[in-house]
Amino acid sequence: MNFNKDTNQAYLYIAPAVILVSLICIYPIIRTFIMSFTDNDGLNPANFIGFDNYIKLFLDPNYIIPIKNTIIWTVLATVFPVAIGFLFAYSIQFLPRSNFFQILIYIPATVSAAAAGVLFGFILDKSGLFNQVLALIGFEHLNRDWLFRAPENTYSMIGAYTWQATGINMMIFLVGLQGLPKEPMEAAKIDGAKGFTLIFKIVIPMIMPYFVIASLLALINSFRIFDSVWVMTMGGPGRYSETLAVTMYREGFIIFDLGYAAAVAVLISLVGLVFSYYYLKSVLTKEDVS
Amino acid sequence: MNYKTKEKVNLTVGYIGMIIVVMAWIYPVFFLIVNANKTASEYSKGDKTEIIFGTAFIDNAIKAWNKGIGDGVLNSLIYGFCGSSLAVIFAFLAAFGIVRLKMKNGLLWFLLIYSGTVFPFQMYLLPLFEAYVAIGIYNTKFGLILMYVSICIPFATFVLRGFFLTVPWELQELAKIEGASNLQILYKIMMPLAKAPLLLVFLIQFTWIWNDLLFGMVLSRSTSVRPVTSALVGMQNLYAQMDGPTILMATVMASIPTLVIFLLLQRHFIRGLTLGSMGTGKG
Repeated sequence: MNFNKDTNQAYLYIAPAVILVSLICIYPIIRTFIMSFTDNDGLNPANFIGFDNYIKLFLDPNYIIPIKNTIIWTVLATVFPVAIGFLFAYSIQFLPRSNFFQILIYIPATVSAAAAGVLFGFILDKSGLFNQVLALIGFEHLNRDWLFRAPENTYSMIGAYTWQATGINMMIFLVGLQGLPKEPMEAAKIDGAKGFTLIFKIVIPMIMPYFVIASLLALINSFRIFDSVWVMTMGGPGRYSETLAVTMYREGFIIFDLGYAAAVAVLISLVGLVFSYYYLKSVLTKEDVS
Repeated sequence: MNYKTKEKVNLTVGYIGMIIVVMAWIYPVFFLIVNANKTASEYSKGDKTEIIFGTAFIDNAIKAWNKGIGDGVLNSLIYGFCGSSLAVIFAFLAAFGIVRLKMKNGLLWFLLIYSGTVFPFQMYLLPLFEAYVAIGIYNTKFGLILMYVSICIPFATFVLRGFFLTVPWELQELAKIEGASNLQILYKIMMPLAKAPLLLVFLIQFTWIWNDLLFGMVLSRSTSVRPVTSALVGMQNLYAQMDGPTILMATVMASIPTLVIFLLLQRHFIRGLTLGSMGTGKG
C-alpha cells in the first residue's frame, strides 16, 4: 500500500523533467526527422517528397566540399588532441609540481569555442601574430591569409581547435595513468625498455580503455564541429571551409531550405549516434568496474 | 650513484623542456592579455609580440562593455544561474523519484530523460526555432532559459541518479518510520548529502550554458537577449578590423567566469566532464 503510494507520487517528481525534455528535446528530434522528408521552406505548406533531400545531399557537387571537410576535421581533430593530450599527460606525470603544468595546459580548454575562435581570428590574420612570428624566425615566404585560403583555412582552424580540445584529453589520460600499477612498468624498465618502446609496448596497452573513451569523445565532437568554423571563417571563403554542421545551419537559417537542412541534421545524427553508442558503452562499463 | 645523477639530469632536462613547451602552449593567452591593453593604433601598426604596459586597459574595458559584451555577460549570467539551477532542481526531483521511490519502469523513465542528450544539437534547431516563432518566445530571455533548463536536465539527472544509487536505504526507512514525508526526506536527508554532486553539476552546466553559441544564435537576435558568445561574435564582425584591442578585451571578459570555475573545481571537473561530455557536460 505504502509502496504503491510512493510509486504514484514518483510521477509527480519526474513530471517537470519529463515534460520539459519531451517538449524541448524529444519533440524537435522527431519533428526534424519528419521534416527531412519534406520540401518545407518555412513559408509554403510542406509536401512529402520521400528521400529527395537525401539523394540531393549525395549527388549535389556543392556538398562534396562540406563532406570532405567534415572527414578531414573528424580525423585530424581526433588524432591531434588525443595524441598531444596523451603526450602532455605522460610527460608531466614524472615531473614535480605536475599540478602546476596541468593547470596551465588546461587553461585553453576553459575558454569557449567562440572566444578561442575570436582570439585565433586575430592570431591567424594576414598581419597577425602568426605571420609576424613566422617572419621573425625567417619564414616570411610562408606568410599568407591563413583563414581566407582553402585548404589552409581548414588546417589552421583544426590547429586552433586542437589547442582548445587537448586539455580534456590530457585530464582523461592523467586519470588513467594514475590508476596504473607500477610493477609492470618497473619490470619493463629493468628489462631495458625505455622511451617509445616503453610507451607503445607497455603504457598504451595498459591505458587502452582511456584511449577508446578519449577518441570516441573526440570523434563525437569533431564530427559535428560548428562553433570554431562559424566564428573563424563562417565556412568561407565561398563554402570552401564549410563542415556539415555549418551546411545545416546555412541551409536552415540563411537559405531557409528547412527540409534539406533537416536531412543534413539527420545525417550528422546517424553517424554521431554510432560514435555515441560505443562511447556510452565504454564509459558505462568503465563505471561498473570502478 | 651514477644511476641517480643520470636520473637527476634527465629530470632537470625534462623539466626545462616542459617549461618551454608549456610557455609556448599558453602564449596565445599571453598574447590576448597583452594586446587587450594596447590602443587600436598601437595594435594595428605595431609588433604583436611587443609588450606595452599601456594605459588603454580601462578605456578598452569600458568600450568593450558598452559595445555589447556588457549586455552579453549580464544575459549569460542570468541564463547560467537560472538555467543551471532549475535544471539541477528538476533533475534532483526526477532522480529521487526514479531511484528512491522505486518507480515502476524506473530505468525506462530515466532513459527517456537521458535520450534528450544523446542526439547532436543539430536535431533540435529547426523545430525549436519554428515553435519559438509561432508561440512568440523567439528572442526572449524566457525562451532561452526554457531551452537551457530543458537541455541541461538529462545530464544532471544522469549524475544525480548515480548519487542516489549510492545512498544507504536505512536512512530513508528510518525517516519513514518516524513519519517523514517523501518531500521531507528529499529536503532534510538527501539534500545535505548531495551538496557536492549538486554543486558540481550546477557548475558544469553553468559552464556549458556560458559557452553555448549555437542555441543563442538560433533563438535570439537582439543585444538585450543574446548570450555572451553571440555578443562576442557579433562584436568581432563589426569592430575587429577597426579596433582589435577592444575585441580582445571583450574576449578576456567573456572568458573569466569559466576560467574561475575551473580553477575552483580543477580535478573534480574531470569525472563529470567525461561522463556527460557528449551532451551538455562538455566544458
